[in-house]
Amino acid sequence: MAAIEARRRFFVMALTLACGVFACSSRDARGAETHLQQSATAPTPTPADPAAQTAANKRATKLVTDETGRRMAIPLNVQRVVSLAPNLTETIYALGLDAKLAGDTTYCDLPPAAKEKPHVGAPQDPSLEAIVALHPDLVLATTSINRAQTADALLKIGVPVYTSDPHTMSGMLISTATIADLLGASEQGATLVAQLQQRLDTLHVALRDRPMAHVLFVVWEDPLISIGQNTFIADALRWAGAESIIVANQNWPQVSMEEVVRLQPDYIVLTADHLAAETHEHVNNLRERPTWRELRAVELGHVVMASDEFTRPSPGLVDAIEALAHELHPEAFSTSAAELAPNFSQWIVGAGLRPAPTTANAPAFAQFALAQSRTEAAVCAR
Amino acid sequence: MRPLTPRRILAICGMLAAVLFVVVVISLRVGAYPISMRDIVVTLYNGAVGNGDASEFSQVIFGLRLPRIALGILVGAALSTSGAGFQALLRNPLADPYVLGVSSGAALGAMLSLIIAPHMVGAIQLAAFIGAAATIAAVYFLGRRGGQLDSATLLLAGIIAASFLSAIIIFLLTLVNGPGLRSMTFWLMGDLTAPPPTQNVLGWFGFLYFIFIVAAGAMYTTSSDLNLILTGEQEAGHLGVNVTRVKLVVYVAASVLTGLAVSVSGTIGYVGLLVPHVMRMLFGTDYRLLIPTSAIGGAIVIVLADTLGRTIVAPTELPVGAMTALAGAPVFIYLMRRRIR
Repeated sequence: MAAIEARRRFFVMALTLACGVFACSSRDARGAETHLQQSATAPTPTPADPAAQTAANKRATKLVTDETGRRMAIPLNVQRVVSLAPNLTETIYALGLDAKLAGDTTYCDLPPAAKEKPHVGAPQDPSLEAIVALHPDLVLATTSINRAQTADALLKIGVPVYTSDPHTMSGMLISTATIADLLGASEQGATLVAQLQQRLDTLHVALRDRPMAHVLFVVWEDPLISIGQNTFIADALRWAGAESIIVANQNWPQVSMEEVVRLQPDYIVLTADHLAAETHEHVNNLRERPTWRELRAVELGHVVMASDEFTRPSPGLVDAIEALAHELHPEAFSTSAAELAPNFSQWIVGAGLRPAPTTANAPAFAQFALAQSRTEAAVCAR
Repeated sequence: MRPLTPRRILAICGMLAAVLFVVVVISLRVGAYPISMRDIVVTLYNGAVGNGDASEFSQVIFGLRLPRIALGILVGAALSTSGAGFQALLRNPLADPYVLGVSSGAALGAMLSLIIAPHMVGAIQLAAFIGAAATIAAVYFLGRRGGQLDSATLLLAGIIAASFLSAIIIFLLTLVNGPGLRSMTFWLMGDLTAPPPTQNVLGWFGFLYFIFIVAAGAMYTTSSDLNLILTGEQEAGHLGVNVTRVKLVVYVAASVLTGLAVSVSGTIGYVGLLVPHVMRMLFGTDYRLLIPTSAIGGAIVIVLADTLGRTIVAPTELPVGAMTALAGAPVFIYLMRRRIR
C-alpha cells in the first residue's frame, strides 16, 4: 500500500519536474542542434543578423589547423579580431594591425592603447557572450594562459578560435607569422619576423664565446616558483646567455630554498611589473630576508630585474632578452647598452629592488602559476 | 502543522517551480550580450519550431545561455536532493553531497583524464563519474559493520577516503604537468561553462536528466520510510521498515546524484548542505515534501547564483561556487536566527 502510494508520488514529482524543467531544456537543445547543422552546411548569416555588414566578408573562408590541432574555417578577409591574451594583443600591435583589434582582455596593458579596447574579461575566464557581442571574425588564444574549454565553447557556437602554442623563441616567431597571415598581413609579418630573427642572431653571435650565466628565474617569490626547462622563458633565457639552475619537467615548479642555497645561482632574475613606477621606491627586501640574504648572488648584488615581457611570448620579448643579455654579459657588447635597448635602463633597477608581489599588479602568468599552487589548497579544503 | 496531502505537495512545488521559471527568464534576459525580451521570444519560437538560424541571437540563446541554465538546474537539483539524502542516511545535519569522498574521487578521475587524454571529448565527464562510482563502492564496503551500513563507520570511511584521494591529487599536481591542468583550478571551484561534449545537445541533456529522474525518483520512493528512520532505526524496523534496503537505496541514489553533478560541473559547494536545511525551515522536515522542494530549491539557487556570477563583475565571471557561498551563507544565517527566536 505504502509502496503504491510512494510510486504514485514519484510520478507526480516526475511530472512536475518534466513540465518545469524539460520544457526549457529540450527547446534549448533542439534549437542549438539545428543551428549547428545549419552553420555547418550554410555559413552565410541571415540578413536579420546584427553583423550583416560583415556578412559579405564571412562568405569566403579557408580551412586552418591551429597549433593545438583544432580545425576550423577562418574568413579570408578578417576585419574584427578578439585577442584573449596579452602577448597576442602585443603581437597585433607590433604588426600595426590594431585597427582590426575589436577587443582584448583586462590583462592586456601593452601598449597602453590596448587598455582602451573593449575588454571581454580575464584570459582564463572571459565572458563568451561579451566576445560574441563584438562580432569577431576570428578569436586568438594561446595555451600559455587560456583554457582549452574557452576555445571549445566558442568553436561549438561557430566562432573560429586560433590557439597558438609557442614553447620556444622560434615557435613565437612562427606564431607571429601565422597570425599576420590570418589577418591578411603576410608582408608585415615577414618583415617583423625577419627583423626579430636578425636581432636574435646578432645576440647569438655576440654571446657565442661567453659562458652561460647560471640564473634563478623567480616567477613568484612566496612560495618560490621558478620555471621548467620546456617553457619559452627557459628558451628566452638561453638566447640571453643564461641557463636556469632549476631542472624540472613541470612548467612552474615550486622550489625549496634549500635547493637554491645548494645550487648557488650566479644571478637572480626577477620580473618587474613594467607599470610599477614605484618599483624604485620599494625597499631592498631581499637583502633583509633570511636565507635570501645569505645567497652569494644577493651578497654580490647580482639581482636583476627583467621586464615582465619575459612572461609573454610576443615580439616585445626580444627587447627583454636583449636587455637581460646586456646586464648579464656587459663585456660582450662593444656598443652601449642604452643604444641597443632603449628601454633597458627602465627595467634594470639594480640589486634587490622588487615591487611588492600583490596579486593585482603581478604578471598575468605569475597569477596563473599561483592559481595552480592554490589548487592544492582547494583540494585540501574538501 | 497541517497534514501533508499530495495536494499540498503539489501546491508548494508548483509555487517553487514558478519561482524557478521567473529566475530562468531573468537569467535568459541578462548578460554581456544585449538582447531584448522580444528578440528572446522570437529566437526561442524559431528554435522551437525547428526554424533556427545562425544569427548571433541564436548563438547566444541556444549556444550559451540555455545550455548553462539547463546545466545549472540539473546540478542544483541533483546536489540538493543528494544532500537531503545524505543528511537522513548519516543522521547528521552537517552532511553534504561531498561528505563521503565522492567529490575527491571524481576530482581524481577528472585529473587523470586531463593527464592521460587531455584532448579527448567527454573524457573528463566519464572519468569523473568513474572516479565517483569507484569511491562510492569503496566507501560502501569500508563503511559496513556486521553486514549493515553503520552511519558512524560510513562517515569515518568517507572522510578517510576523501583525505587519501586528496593527497593523491596533490601528489599528482606537484609532479605532473598537463596542458589541461589549468582547468582543474576552475573545476575544483565549480564551473558551468563547459560545453556539452557532443554535438547532440538535446540528447546529452536528455541523458543527464534521465539519470537524475531515475536516481531522485528512487530516493523519493523511500521518503515515508526515511521519516520513520529519522525517529530511530530500531523503531522504524519495528514498524515494518526494511532499514537495510532503504539505506542502500538512499546511499546509491544520493551517490549517483553527486557523481552526476560533479562530473559535469566540478565541485560546487554549499548548495547541497544549505538548500535542504532552508527547505526544512520553510516547509518542515517531512521527506515527502523535502526531497522535491530541495530539488527545485537547489535549481533556483544555482541558476540565480550563476546569473549573478556572470553579471555583477562583467565582463569577468565569478565562479558559481563562490557565488553560492557568498549569497547562501547570509540567507542561511537569517533563517536560522529567525527560527531560534
